[in-house]
Amino acid sequence: MIVQFRNTLRNPRQRTQLESAASGVLILGGLAARYLFGATLAHNGLMAAAALIAGADIAMRAWNSLRNRHISIELLVTIATVGALAIGEFWEAAAVTFLFVFGAYLEARTLSRTRKVLGELLDLAPVTALVLRDGQQVEVAPHEVAVGEIVLIKPGARVPVDGEVVAGASAVDESSITGEPIPEEKFAGLPVFAGTVNLDGMLQARATGVGADTTLARIIARVEEAQEEKAPTQRFIERFARWYTPAIILLSAAVYAITRDIELALTLLVIACPGALVISTPVSIIAGIGQAARRGILIKGGEYLENAARISALALDKTGTITYGKPRLTEIFVLQPSRIGLPEEVNSSVSFNSTRWTVEQAEILYWAGIAESVSEHPLARAIYNEARTLTALPTPDTFETFTGKGIQARFMGHEISVGTEKWLKEQSVAIEPGVESALLTLREEGKTATLVSLDSMLMGILGISDPIRETSAETIKRLAHSGIREVVMLTGDDEKTAWAIARQAGIKNVKANLLPEDKLKIIRELQSKGHTVAMVGDGINDTPALAAADIGIAMGAAGAGLAIETADVALMSDDLLKVPEAIRLSKATLRNIRQNVAIALITVGALLSGVLLGEVHMAGGMLVHQLSVLIVIFNGMRLLREGSGA
Amino acid sequence: MKTLLRSQELTCPSCVAKIEKALTALPGVQEAKVFFNTGRIEVQHDPEKATQQELVQAVRSAGYEARVSSI
Repeated sequence: MIVQFRNTLRNPRQRTQLESAASGVLILGGLAARYLFGATLAHNGLMAAAALIAGADIAMRAWNSLRNRHISIELLVTIATVGALAIGEFWEAAAVTFLFVFGAYLEARTLSRTRKVLGELLDLAPVTALVLRDGQQVEVAPHEVAVGEIVLIKPGARVPVDGEVVAGASAVDESSITGEPIPEEKFAGLPVFAGTVNLDGMLQARATGVGADTTLARIIARVEEAQEEKAPTQRFIERFARWYTPAIILLSAAVYAITRDIELALTLLVIACPGALVISTPVSIIAGIGQAARRGILIKGGEYLENAARISALALDKTGTITYGKPRLTEIFVLQPSRIGLPEEVNSSVSFNSTRWTVEQAEILYWAGIAESVSEHPLARAIYNEARTLTALPTPDTFETFTGKGIQARFMGHEISVGTEKWLKEQSVAIEPGVESALLTLREEGKTATLVSLDSMLMGILGISDPIRETSAETIKRLAHSGIREVVMLTGDDEKTAWAIARQAGIKNVKANLLPEDKLKIIRELQSKGHTVAMVGDGINDTPALAAADIGIAMGAAGAGLAIETADVALMSDDLLKVPEAIRLSKATLRNIRQNVAIALITVGALLSGVLLGEVHMAGGMLVHQLSVLIVIFNGMRLLREGSGA
Repeated sequence: MKTLLRSQELTCPSCVAKIEKALTALPGVQEAKVFFNTGRIEVQHDPEKATQQELVQAVRSAGYEARVSSI
């Protein structure tokens, strides 16, 4: 019991809690003694006891600092308290010490909550890893796993390292990394990240990154650096505080010299401490950057946050940003009026399972899929992947690929050709005049047209597009709402394709046929027009433009370690809607900083003039001062609320 | 040797100088750096002369609870 009590006293937080409670009770007792029973002597005794209990700790800390040649706020409070007790102001002494200790306790508790996002990230760090060594499962610390080793991840377990799935399938909750609430389906070939949670299946993954070389470790390092990085406003306030504190000391010395009122001079010293002002900016920055990190948005630091809030023009790369960057089969034109059918030998055993395509379209796709099953070309993959959803595909008996033109394959005595219009003409496949209009339609929609023939008869046209993200149009709309006046799409593609995509996204300004250095030039042009320019790209191909922009935003950074470290704003997921969200959060944070600075300045100004006019005394002044600090902290914490629009 | 401490309790940037001075006053501590926003405390010290426990104790004497952290 005594040991336990001593331990409680040794822990600063528990000690201040205890002291606040004890001195609070004594103050209440003192007030009761005076106003209920008129016992002035008891009142003074209880108040003095309250001041001593709360003040002893303050005095001790003041002494510790003084020994290290540091003049602390505790020293000023101690002098003020001793002074108040000496002149018989017991109530003042009790109130000031109580408010100081209790206020500091409340501030520590609330401020630690604004720091909790970092704590959440630290808690994600996996504790153990299950490794396969010589066919045995061995449990080791995650940093002891060697790159290339196979780790086993059980259902419910945290992924211990960054790796690539080699066996098994499972849903993995990646919200801690990407901010996306919906679990990702993982199977062989896909990456997994340390700190994410395996939900339902058993996974085996080959370690690709361990310890400090994991996405989670990079995020933690990034968030920590970002929160420490001083925003311009914070640097300004610190410069301000550097001359403010000596100025206050001089002012109170002058006040004492003129009025010979030691109480007034001490009150001035204690009250004018710029507590709310110096934490006004850090509190908002910690909360703003923390909340963004929680939503999969890594902002490099306070300066970038203030810049992001001022963005007026935004340039987006087309491929992989507005579009998915993965070509997909979207259209099948049927050119034969009658059914072409299937090879006789398989006709009875194949049944198509498609709600997307008609039977005629499915048959064209089936034939094309057989030929493309042997090609690695991205367009061929797009056709094959779609055909595979119909039914199992056989492999062709023989095939020949023509680079940049197409593929020709034989299957059960039939000849299948899939390729460009020009190439099929060369194969003397008849292209009727009516076909031209279908080709034009596809191209005007920004799609690649691929023709399919069977035994030298044209059967149909496949339209392949790199589809626009479902969220692109909504993103552009939200950007306009958040005050971005100019949105430009940049692409190396031709005008026709580019405009087709831009129209779907609602983008009015397109720069096509660009080389990487042209993108840079366009960013510079926008800047010379007075814009604060943001560039959104995939972080790999757009590096010069991203670097030239005032804010470089990299998408899909979870899989690209370098992007996390270099981008001004790194979006962990591939969700384009995170761009307006990042801008909104930045604006909210900047607004929050301004509110806090205003609250702090008004409070200090009001208190100073109140004290000098003799309207504010030490206890009341201390109360207002402590309240202003708490208000500033609570205001900053609003940024941490889910879906914060603060 | 470098030790990393974390504290959740820093309430005003003046704590920074206070903790740094308390730590560097210990024999065996070469350098101490306190980051206010994140509550991160980096200490460069000779573990023979100043143990990690003594570092925690020094921070405590300045009025703040801290713990040793690996990351």
